[in-house]
This record gives sequence, C-alpha cells and structure tokens, in this order.
Amino acid sequence: MKPRTLPWLALGLVVWAALPFIVPRYMADLLVFTGIYTVAGLGIGLLLGHCGIVNLAQATFYGLGAYASAYCTVMMGLPSIVGFIVGAVISMVLAYVIGRPILRLTGYFLALGTLALSAIASALFFEWDWLTGGTLGIGGIPKLDVFGFLLDRPSRYYFFVWIVAFACMAVAHNLVDSRTGLMLRSMRDSSTAAAALSIDLQALRTKVFVVCALFGSLAGSLFAHHVSFVSTQSFTVDRSISFLLIPVIGGATSIPGIVVGALFVTFLPELLSKLGDIHQILFGLALVAVVVLMPEGLVGAFGKLRTRFAKREGGGHG
Amino acid sequence: MAEPLLALREVGHSFGGLSVLRSVTFDVPEGGIIGLIGPNGSGKTTLFNIVTGYIRPLAGTVTYRGAALGRDTIQQRGLNGLVRTFQTPQVFEQMTVLENVMVGCTKLTRTTMLQDLLRTPASRGQMREIRERAEAGCERFGLTALRDLPAASLTAGQRRILEIARAVVGEPRLLLLDEPSSGLNVQEIDDLRDWIVRLNEEGITVLLVSHDMGLMTVARTVHTLYFGEIIASGDMAAIQRDPRVREVYLGV
Repeated sequence: MKPRTLPWLALGLVVWAALPFIVPRYMADLLVFTGIYTVAGLGIGLLLGHCGIVNLAQATFYGLGAYASAYCTVMMGLPSIVGFIVGAVISMVLAYVIGRPILRLTGYFLALGTLALSAIASALFFEWDWLTGGTLGIGGIPKLDVFGFLLDRPSRYYFFVWIVAFACMAVAHNLVDSRTGLMLRSMRDSSTAAAALSIDLQALRTKVFVVCALFGSLAGSLFAHHVSFVSTQSFTVDRSISFLLIPVIGGATSIPGIVVGALFVTFLPELLSKLGDIHQILFGLALVAVVVLMPEGLVGAFGKLRTRFAKREGGGHG
Repeated sequence: MAEPLLALREVGHSFGGLSVLRSVTFDVPEGGIIGLIGPNGSGKTTLFNIVTGYIRPLAGTVTYRGAALGRDTIQQRGLNGLVRTFQTPQVFEQMTVLENVMVGCTKLTRTTMLQDLLRTPASRGQMREIRERAEAGCERFGLTALRDLPAASLTAGQRRILEIARAVVGEPRLLLLDEPSSGLNVQEIDDLRDWIVRLNEEGITVLLVSHDMGLMTVARTVHTLYFGEIIASGDMAAIQRDPRVREVYLGV
C-alpha cells in the first residue's frame, strides 16, 4: 500500500462510521440499501467486467435469499442464520443447474436466457403463494440479532450490512487478483485463444455464475431482515435490470465502482423524486447520459479525468 | 524408426458438402520442424483446427504421443503439450503484455476457485510463481520494456512475438504456428525464423503453416496442400523443383 493512501483510508473509515449518525434517518435507510445493492451488484460486476456476461437474472437469486430468510424465520421459527444458509445453498445449486446449459450461449442470446430465467422466477414467486405468500407476501420477519445486539434501527443495521459488503468486496477483489481472475479476463478478451491455452471456459463461467448467485442470495436475505416484509414486487425483472445498472454505471471492472453504481441507483431516484412527477424521466436521462458519455462507468471517467490533470500538471512543471 | 509425435492418417473433412481435406496422411517426428504450404483455401487452417481440437474430422485419425486424440477437448490437448497460435494474432487486448504471458502460465499450476476467493497461501504462492515465470518469459522474448502496456497497443510484429511467448511459457511439446509471418516486415520475419530455430533446438517440435516460401526454408520436411490433398512432400528445394507445385504457385 502506498503511504499516501493510508490517511485517506483512515479518513474514509471515520466518515463511514459517523455517517449513519449525522444523516437523517431516511438517508441512513438508503445507505443500508446501498450496502445491500453493493453485495448484489458485485456478482454482476464480476460477470460483466471480467467474463463479458450480461446477467439479467440477479433478482431471482435476490428473491430466493429473501424468501428463504422469510420462510425459515417466520413460518418455521428457525434462527436467522439458517435462512441465510438455506437461501445461499438453493441459489448456488440453481445457478449451477441452470448455468450449465445456458452459459453455453454467448452475447445477446445469453442475456436473453438470463432474462427468461428472471421472468420465470418472478412468475413462480407469484404463483407459489403457499411458499411466498404471493402478492400478500410474508411479513413480520424479525430484525437480526448479532451476538446480543438487536439491529432494529437503520443506523445499527448499517454497520452489519456494510461489514458484509466489505467482506464480499474483499472476496471479489481476491478473485480478480488471482489465477482465476487472469483466466476470466483472458476469456473475456478472446475465448478462442483462452481455450488454446487450456482454459476451461465452460467450467469457469459456471463457477462465477454460482458466486454471483451467492452474492445475490446474501443481498436478498439482508434485504428481508431490513424491511421485515417481502412480496413478489421486489423480485421482478425490473429489479434484475436495476441490478445490472449498478456495474454499468459505476464501472464493471472496478470493485469500488460497484459502490458508486449502488449509490447511484439508490440515492438518485430518491433525490429526484422531490421534483415531482418528472423524476422518472430525469433518472432515465441521467442513466442515458452516464452510459453514452462514460462507457467505462463513473469510476472509469474519473480515472481518465485524473490522468488528464496529472498530465497537465506535469506539463506545467516541464 | 521411433514413433512420430503426431501422426495424421487419411484425415478428411468437408463443409456443407464441399470437401476441404481429402485423405491427408503425414507424420510429425519428435524434435522436427514440419512445414505445410499451400495457396489460400487449400485446407491448412482446417487441418490445424482438427489437430488442435477446434473441429472434429469427418474421416481419419489423429494420433498424438501414440494415442488417438479422438474426442479430447481443446483444453486436454493443450495440457498434453499441444499449443497453437492463430493466423490473426489473438492477444488479450485489454490485458497488459505481462498479464497475457501470465495467462500462458496458468495451466502449469492448479488452484480451485475457493482458494482464489479466500486468497489462501497456496493461491498466493501459485500467483507468485505465475508472475515469476511470466517475467522470465517477457525477458527472454524481449518484451520487458513493453510489459505494462495493454496488448491492444502493440504492433503486428510485437503481437506475433507475444503470442509465441505466451504459448512457449506453457512448455509445449508441439507448437503449431498458423501463418506466423503474415503482417510482418522483412526484419521481423528474420527474427521469427531465428526464434523458430532456437525453440526447436530446445526440444520443441514445430508444425508450421505458411505460404511464405522464404520462411518455410526452416522446415526439414514440407508438405504441399492443394485443394485438400497433399500433392508434394520433401525439403524446400525439392518442393520448389516439383512441377505440380510450380504449376499451382507460379502457373507454369
């Protein structure tokens, strides 16, 4: 680590710790959602930025996590950790079983395949009301209790969610920075050449899809314990699309970019909603602006700006 | 006579009823440099794709180290030491030169995704080994000055060398080079020739596809492919004297 980054890191940590106490309650609530969306977005970012795969199915795994937590705690009275684990296991198994066949597809066809998965899952969440409660949903999901601390307020849950989010970011970073990460990026750039170097494309893509589903399910469980009520409308194709936006906006190859993207999709609609009915149009325009003007996402654009300034400064001295 | 490293027997293939290879039979002896020439569309690249597993032949057998390749995947063939380059160099454009070479080393080590996710000591150790091997590879192929540049910024000649470096760090036994001189200038072709000779002296068997007669003089035996059939075989001097080859190439 460069010595210059250490003070910045310390400052960031202080701001992070103070944030839920200095902002209004609704913002603390949004920050919790940012953390949850970061976890869900990380998986999509790995697929998009490092494998070149568009995944429009994340709401499926998000829903599985949320319903597993809701069902296990409310209907069966089990401890919350069981819900997390059941959701994660079901999501990973489903991702493996479905991933094997559909990850043979590439490009648009694969994106459509994942979209179909999300549409089917969303219909099943609606139809299987004995399990999900249908449109009425499942309410009364208990707040999390971690070692005797009841996380019953956004300012408390904030810390738990973000510690999970940071852990997931660390894991994603490990993957990108490893032998597997090298193989993933090579596959994204040229699958033909990657195969010639003995890289098993199919197995790798399936594994990353499973990791992505794990993150999705984890985010879903966190969501269920935050809002205490889950119903079908939270797990529609729309939600899959907004999850996909996170890495697209923030920058798919960058892990901090996922946080930026998650902030964008949680805060901007909320801030714009104060402007009345046109807020959806404005959000749409902001989205188009980012995608058109900053193809590498906000983090990519920031990086470019910084190199440009650095060059200018260097020129001034010389 | 010792068993050949690679043996093709009566290999045939067609695309949509159009026959592109007809009963092609030849051997690649261990330690040799074998050339394959022929005009465009004569089936050279198809033959390469068959040997490396990108296409399954409709007829005939390909034997490598005494065993039929059959349904072996591209990856299995690669792990057994059969490594190719491409007619248009396929570098990983968004990765740096060093990272490209590192990808070539990944097949020599084994980590599971779980180890990589958790950055276990084994995972870190293997990554360090990959990096060291790749750095040595860059040094050897004169790519050290370029190593932190994205591969997209390289010239055609540099891409060629990078592709060969990336293949060689994976310790191939049989290196298959598909039109390695296309897009290169005279000096670069000379360097390429030197590399082929040097790698061969180190024990790598080479199968070279090209229609560059100059480069082909490195090959000890050259087979001429014309419309899917071998019409002449021998050293380059014999090939150049062959009346059928002269007819195909020079129209005399």
